[in-house]
Amino acid sequence: MAKTIMVVDDSASLRQVVGIALKGAGYEVIEGRDGVDALAKCTGQKIHLVVCDVNMPNMDGITFVKQFKQLPLYKFTPVIMLTTESQESKKEEGKAAGAKAWVVKPFKPEVLLGAVAKLVLP
Amino acid sequence: MGRRPVNNFTGLDSKILAPFGLAGAGALGTMVAGWSAWGWYTVLWSALLLAAAAWCARASGAALGGSGEADMIDNYLAGRERFGDAVLPIWCRHIENSRTQMEEAVADLAGRFSSIVDKLDSAVHVSSMDGKGGSSMPEVFAHSEKQLGSVVRSMKSAMSSKQAMLAQIKDLERFTRELRDMAEGVASIAAQTNLLALNAAIEAARAGPAGRGFAVVAQEVRNLSSRSAETGRNISNRVGLISSAILAASQAAEQSSEAEDKSMQSAEGMIESVLGQFRSITDALVQSSDLLKQESIGIQGEVGEALVQLQFQDRVSQVMAHVRENMELLPALLRDNRDRYVADQVLEPLDPELLLHELKKTYAMAEEHAVHGGSKHSAPAAAEADEITFF
Repeated sequence: MAKTIMVVDDSASLRQVVGIALKGAGYEVIEGRDGVDALAKCTGQKIHLVVCDVNMPNMDGITFVKQFKQLPLYKFTPVIMLTTESQESKKEEGKAAGAKAWVVKPFKPEVLLGAVAKLVLP
Repeated sequence: MGRRPVNNFTGLDSKILAPFGLAGAGALGTMVAGWSAWGWYTVLWSALLLAAAAWCARASGAALGGSGEADMIDNYLAGRERFGDAVLPIWCRHIENSRTQMEEAVADLAGRFSSIVDKLDSAVHVSSMDGKGGSSMPEVFAHSEKQLGSVVRSMKSAMSSKQAMLAQIKDLERFTRELRDMAEGVASIAAQTNLLALNAAIEAARAGPAGRGFAVVAQEVRNLSSRSAETGRNISNRVGLISSAILAASQAAEQSSEAEDKSMQSAEGMIESVLGQFRSITDALVQSSDLLKQESIGIQGEVGEALVQLQFQDRVSQVMAHVRENMELLPALLRDNRDRYVADQVLEPLDPELLLHELKKTYAMAEEHAVHGGSKHSAPAAAEADEITFF
């Protein structure tokens, strides 16, 4: 059975691009437009990994990760931050929030897939 | 008022030219200083400042005939504020509209790429028949060849059995020849016995009454020899009939065997021919499938590159959003500048650092900071595997 990955990004084109890469590798993808939308979609289904942007309207990625990690079902679900931000201070915020990896956009599909394969839950 | 008059080098009133000169100089300075670093939005800023200069110059000129310098300045500042209120929202809406259109178009483009990749993947799977539960063309061919080979072997085995049967029938011919020889032997013995009995009868007649009994015996022997001769002929006839029947059967079997052998060779040839044609088609299909796979790999590589390029829309969109948000601050800045004048009666020059500082705070990308700092614009390369930070 295909593993499910949640992609959270306010850019529809980026969600598409990430979705193409992940679906091509056999993953199922659910999308969130921002932190609020993504949390609303965490309704108990198994999510094997989250790929999340940082700068988003309504709820930014760091806040989303903090709240996502508070949900008992997703406590151990790994999160990869996928963002244009490359400042070390931001990375530290992501790490403190509970993210497992930080990938800077633009990314090569194989690079993202490598990180996903390394972190995705069994 | 504490304002110093501005030098008028052209004979025009300094009250007209002062703000125009101030804003125009700012615009030109911005354009010269910022073009290499900020690109297109430097032009927008410069245009804004130039337009503001033109507006206020006209407003100042109109005010000259009014109620004095204070009114003129107030009119100028109010006009500048109105300019900001009127123009900035429209510029920002255009930028936002363009950004949204670009976002939607790139999302649609990415979706089409996704569709192309899916269809290509399906085509590759169908062409190579390596989908779930399917067999590849070479596998189908090998299986068919194996089955037909089995049929040919069965037919050859049946032919071999027939040859053995034919050999046995030929053996029967030999037996019938032996039987005929034996029947001829019986006939020969009967003839000799008959001759012997005839001699005995003659000798019995010569013996007179004493030989009468022996004559009866000799007659009986003659009778028996006649019956033996008759039986021998009968046997010989029957053996002849059987021999003819066996010979006919043997010839028919031989002809049948020859016909079957020819049919067998013909069938084998046809099977080889069909397999050969099938092999040609299969090889062509396999080559076509391999080519499609190679092309697919190439196209997927191209799509991968396209996916990297499509991400630049996100970066451009963010830069446009940051610039738009910064432009939206300008009317408030103009309003604040006017409020300060109204409160303190001091004309303060607009400080670009106020906006630039706010703009800088919105930057998310290293390239924004670099461009702001004066670096030539360059798109960043896609992140390599070793650039991922794992926590």
